[in-house]
Amino acid sequence: MTSTSLIAGTQADTSQGAVAERVRKIREAQGAGVSRAEGWRRRGPLLPALIFMIVVTQIPFVFTLYYSTLSWNLVRPGSRQFVGLSNYIAVAKDSQFWRVGLNTVVLIVGVVLISALLGLLLALLLDRAFFGRGIVRTLLITPFLVTPVAAALIWKTTILDPTNGILNWALSLVGIPPVDWIGQFPLTMVMVELIWQWTPFMMLLILAGLQSMPRDILEAGRVDGAGAFQLFRELTLPHLRRFIELGVVLGAVYLVNTFDAIYMMTQGGPGIASSNLPFYIYQRAFLGFDMGQAAAMGVVVVVFTIFIASFALRLIFKSFSGKEEAA
Amino acid sequence: MTITAESVSAATAPAQSSKKRSRKFDPWGAVAWLVGLGFFFPVLWMVLTAFKQEADAATSPPTLFFTPTLDQFKAVFDQGIGPAMLNSVWATGISTLLVLLLGTPAAFALSLRPVRKTQDALFFFMSTKMLPIVAAILPLYVIVSNIGLLDNIWALVILYTSMNLPIAVWMMRSFFLEVPGELLEAASLDGASLWRSVREVILPLVSPGIAATALICVIFAWNEFFFAVNLTAVNAQTMPVYLVGFIAGEGQYWAVLSAAATMAALPVILCGWFAQNKLVRGLSFGAIK
Amino acid sequence: MAAITYNNASCVYEGSDKLAVDSLNLDISDGEFVVLVGPSGSGKSTALRMLAGLEDIDEGSIEIGGKNMTGVPSKDRDIAMVFQNYALYPNKTVAENMGFALKLRGVSADERRRKVEDAARILDLTEFLDRKPAKLSGGQRQRVAMGRAIVREPQVFCMDEPLSNLDAKLRVQTRTQIAALQRRLGTTTVYVTHDQVEAMTMGDRVAVLRFGKLQQFASPNELYDKPANAFVAGFIGSPAMNLVTLPVAPGGVKIGDSILELERADVSKISEAGLSEVTVGIRPEQLELSDSGGVDVVVDLVEDLGSEAYVYTHAGSGVELVARCNPRTAPKLAESVKLRKHPDGVVHLFHSQSGERIN
Repeated sequence: MTSTSLIAGTQADTSQGAVAERVRKIREAQGAGVSRAEGWRRRGPLLPALIFMIVVTQIPFVFTLYYSTLSWNLVRPGSRQFVGLSNYIAVAKDSQFWRVGLNTVVLIVGVVLISALLGLLLALLLDRAFFGRGIVRTLLITPFLVTPVAAALIWKTTILDPTNGILNWALSLVGIPPVDWIGQFPLTMVMVELIWQWTPFMMLLILAGLQSMPRDILEAGRVDGAGAFQLFRELTLPHLRRFIELGVVLGAVYLVNTFDAIYMMTQGGPGIASSNLPFYIYQRAFLGFDMGQAAAMGVVVVVFTIFIASFALRLIFKSFSGKEEAA
Repeated sequence: MTITAESVSAATAPAQSSKKRSRKFDPWGAVAWLVGLGFFFPVLWMVLTAFKQEADAATSPPTLFFTPTLDQFKAVFDQGIGPAMLNSVWATGISTLLVLLLGTPAAFALSLRPVRKTQDALFFFMSTKMLPIVAAILPLYVIVSNIGLLDNIWALVILYTSMNLPIAVWMMRSFFLEVPGELLEAASLDGASLWRSVREVILPLVSPGIAATALICVIFAWNEFFFAVNLTAVNAQTMPVYLVGFIAGEGQYWAVLSAAATMAALPVILCGWFAQNKLVRGLSFGAIK
Repeated sequence: MAAITYNNASCVYEGSDKLAVDSLNLDISDGEFVVLVGPSGSGKSTALRMLAGLEDIDEGSIEIGGKNMTGVPSKDRDIAMVFQNYALYPNKTVAENMGFALKLRGVSADERRRKVEDAARILDLTEFLDRKPAKLSGGQRQRVAMGRAIVREPQVFCMDEPLSNLDAKLRVQTRTQIAALQRRLGTTTVYVTHDQVEAMTMGDRVAVLRFGKLQQFASPNELYDKPANAFVAGFIGSPAMNLVTLPVAPGGVKIGDSILELERADVSKISEAGLSEVTVGIRPEQLELSDSGGVDVVVDLVEDLGSEAYVYTHAGSGVELVARCNPRTAPKLAESVKLRKHPDGVVHLFHSQSGERIN
């Protein structure tokens, strides 16, 4: 049976308002009941991990807040008492704390920026095919794999030692007198070691970015008359931006907690010249046993980190929520 | 001939033409080699020094030619590196297993069956990573000692799990997202229940990604020092802690120190080398679409 | 094999206030090959996915074999689907891909193998049974997707633009194969495409959709001869029907300076509707070059297809007309010619505002 059926395309109720009204009714009907059970079924697999994380990470932090309001020295058992915010005031007045904070910022910014730059250069080098490219890549990722304390140990002894270290020997070949690197430039040397360890990470991320770039837009650029540098600046760099950003953010997050290198190379010294916040707080808590003060410092660090991290998180989510920008 | 992405990149990438170019000297290739060797040098030096006699180890100018010896490694073994090795293996292995057990379903829930609160949960996971662990170490120390887990490897197992879980969930989620939605629909039409489609269709596809994630977790857990040094003493010490203790005793004896450092670092280096491609995938966080 | 009914079925676009499918009513008989056709955004894929259970039925209902499918999950609907990108399981061989649904149902390995081999023979896939999809060409993958569907012997076949990723020649070849296969198997099939040529050649009946609403549901001939509105008229047929809105004149309509005369019956319908303007439709194959009488036009472009030629012209008032002609006697560019309606040519009249058919 043939049928021609015309639908309400010509009748009055196709007005936008009528449609929107029907959609609204549909959404209402959906909202209650049906999808709720489904929603819980979907969230189910997430719960074990979520609960685990909440218990293991949030609860200690709540305790830290509590401790920060106490004057409490582990060595003197009976001394625990509530002192409100006086720990925070002490921290605010503690010039060493702020100096160490500055060190931390310098360390993070310096290491992240330089290793990102080096990583970019290395990625560019590795993006082309050449003899033994695979081997070179293997060599280049090794620093990232080495246990940080072992790496710091090697740098401190065999490389940077004033008398027998390789660096001073190499410099002596060109007539530069020996330098006590760690003694004179403690923070810088720690940063150098960290840059050595983190550049491979940046390189791999940026290399992934380079290799994910569609080649045809480079060809279009070349045909349009762009030179190599222009191609890089106008096409490659913008594409790499989100990879570089990701590397910077992740690197910064990990570097906030830098501890191993400082512990091994300088112990924060001389004085606090190469100390960062984690190390300083560690000294307060485990060497000075001053829990209250250490806790207060920890809270301050967390507050600052939250501030910066919120930018970082928004950045990660913005650039990686699945949408690839059109070329 | 149909044009595929492969044939285009094959036509444009230098890879094909290098077969013809290998006769000519490639300056940038040489630079890459130099840089590569330069970055690798400290590791190389560490391993070399481990094979030296002490007399050859701390010299200026550095000794390049020497008779290798295994004495230093023997010395390290004699000093009892065994237990620390085992502790590290245990802590790393169990925590990575836990991370995969907890994280894979979580990543699945956050990618293939998203609910309104998905972004929030992901946000929360990532934010835990961003809080400085130094702020939590104090109460952790107190709690751990109160429940009697001080100097016990299980404390580290739990902490390493929590340390790696956010990154693992993030990484595995990105691998899950790469599975085309149509595949799940096809499986569903074929009559597969959700569990069946996961098992037969999704898991085989994401297993390289899960391996990459596991490798990253192993690297971070094995190399971890801060928690280990504060929460363990003699019984549960891991390799990094052992290494530090070793230095206290051996001070200026570089050869034996290098041997200890080599042994501490070698397992993860080898893992990373052999599973290099997975490592690269993992570190790129599935950012390559 | 089953009849399918869409009863006022609607579906909302995710996160929007629009309806992807708006009150769709279709009555599909058992064994029929129905094509859903329309431009992108017309809701045809969504309508298909509602049938397969991949989209929710937000309003109304869909019945298969008389049973209401609301709330029934895909896996229980006994429908097989061929996806546009084939959706083959990458880690399984061709044989495993095709046998997966049977395996899920607990069919024995021998039985599975037999059925898979039968289907492979029909589709010429026997030599590929042990290969994985990555090692197949586009056309081969498409056949595997079809094989996966036919092995199941379902009630309904759903096909979502299965030919759109094939090159032109393969498309034509596969088109005939699919149509022949369906006739042989007799399974009710709902087929989605944006290509009206596929729709016209493959379907028993064709449903034209636009912006989620059904425009016309009829056999290809009826769509061609009696389109229900201006949209269907312009959508079906290639090159498209000439559609121009012209002012009404005594005895017909005015084109430029001339008057195109219309049938008496048509003229009275126009005046019944009280229109001062009407949309007139004539297919290019029903216009011809004339030596005497007709509309004066200037040639803009001539497309010579070998078997026929199409002349693109414009009349004085800017009206554009396309006509078919013999390629050996085609006019030249910028030449002035006359076009007139074929003696048996049909003129379609549509309401100038609503687009609905008048005659």
